[in-house]
Amino acid sequence: MSSSLFHTLNISRQDILTRLTDLDVTSNNLANVNTAGFKASRSNFQEMLNQRLTEGNQLLNTQALTGQGALRDSANPLDWAIEGEGYFSVTLPNGDTGYTRDGQFVLDADLNLVTASGYPLAWDGEITDGMTDISIGSDGVVSATDADGVRVEVGTVQLTRFPNPSGLTSRGNNVWLESDASGAAQSGAAGSENFGTIGSFRVEQSNVDLSQEMTHLIVLQRSFSMSVKAFQQTDTMISEAINLRKA
Amino acid sequence: MIKGLYSAVSAMVMNAARQQVLSHNIANLQTPGFKQILTTAEDFMQNQAVYSPALNQASQIEYLGTLGLGTQIGPEFIDFQQGALQDTGNPLDLALQGSSFFTVKTPDGNRYTRDGRFLRDADNTLVTVEGYQVLDDAGQPITLPDGDVSVSPEGAISANGTAVAQLGIGVFTDPRTDLQHTEGNLFSGPTASTSQDVPNVVQGYLETSNANPSQLMTQLVEVGRSYEAAQNLVRNQDELLGKTIASLGRIG
Repeated sequence: MSSSLFHTLNISRQDILTRLTDLDVTSNNLANVNTAGFKASRSNFQEMLNQRLTEGNQLLNTQALTGQGALRDSANPLDWAIEGEGYFSVTLPNGDTGYTRDGQFVLDADLNLVTASGYPLAWDGEITDGMTDISIGSDGVVSATDADGVRVEVGTVQLTRFPNPSGLTSRGNNVWLESDASGAAQSGAAGSENFGTIGSFRVEQSNVDLSQEMTHLIVLQRSFSMSVKAFQQTDTMISEAINLRKA
Repeated sequence: MIKGLYSAVSAMVMNAARQQVLSHNIANLQTPGFKQILTTAEDFMQNQAVYSPALNQASQIEYLGTLGLGTQIGPEFIDFQQGALQDTGNPLDLALQGSSFFTVKTPDGNRYTRDGRFLRDADNTLVTVEGYQVLDDAGQPITLPDGDVSVSPEGAISANGTAVAQLGIGVFTDPRTDLQHTEGNLFSGPTASTSQDVPNVVQGYLETSNANPSQLMTQLVEVGRSYEAAQNLVRNQDELLGKTIASLGRIG
């Protein structure tokens, strides 16, 4: 087996870099421990071996963990949470459709239901002037009390699901985009087969598990320092080889 | 003296190779399903040590025994010991207990792996994080229906209460002899199991790397010091050689 200490240096260097990326992922998870509808991500490391030559590890991808977040009660009737599979569709400024689990909507000046980032919810229905007491049923049917005090159905919010939701591309602002990896978007009524139900007066909390992230942070830090140690030692070994001949 | 010089250098070369494998194991401390690589050191070659008392008594050669000519890195082994299980709560994260392996399809053929980080791809096929298809017991890819997936300890996949497929799991009596480490976290081996043991699949868990940090750090110190000692020996002998050349040749 041929080996070079410089190759060994490279194994540790590569590892140090992947740990730093993992630190970014973990920091992002920790920063969003209170973001409604947020999904934690994890870094997927993989061993690298080329023609039986050990090459350390690589960061294959980051994977969104799409598990359900805990539901919290709220006093706001426009706080809608999905329990089960599915995403709300929102229209992005460039006209594309984005998907989010963050159902904390507000009515803007034009009576559109918008997310905290200002993206309007894509649904078939309309809130008109004077409507109050907007509420949503578990099947996504939105009703409100109109100006005459009559309870009316104003439309339906459909949910969208994907074969592989962890393959969605994160766009930031808690919005995801369809990708080749996620598969094609499928729309359906809330509560129908494979789709979750919608609850009002509810907020889906972040699915970041604080204790798990903190444990991960510890392991990450220790692995990082171990690779730094290995790097330093390989460096010392190279220097020893260089100084074989006493001056 | 020259022999000693090369023996000492052989120890440096051997420890440099160990350092590489050690760095590889350290780098994969957080790779699920990773099995640490063990290195061995072996004797390089043995020479007969002889002693001849004087030049004119050539017949009187005494054999003193054997003289080792250094060390070399021996064959690498994979440590197939069970890694600890880590709770992830992700329904498509699977861990194995015992000497069983998932079967996956790579461009180079079917491979075995302990890495149970599986996903659905866009076509609902069960794949690894690298995108390799996970195979069932008939060697076919597994297509998952929509809905919640559950995996029994025997490796039977079911969704919404109906059976979908049986995971193709290879069980080996001695993975060290049956399997070869071909690509990262993948092993090639015989097409059929060599053991009748029933696999034990744990859903929602991942098997962590079986490399042990404290063991790795100890080995790191050991390798570093051995390398240093060997380097010192080379320098010592170089000095002695220098002295021999400088003083023995001096007349008067």
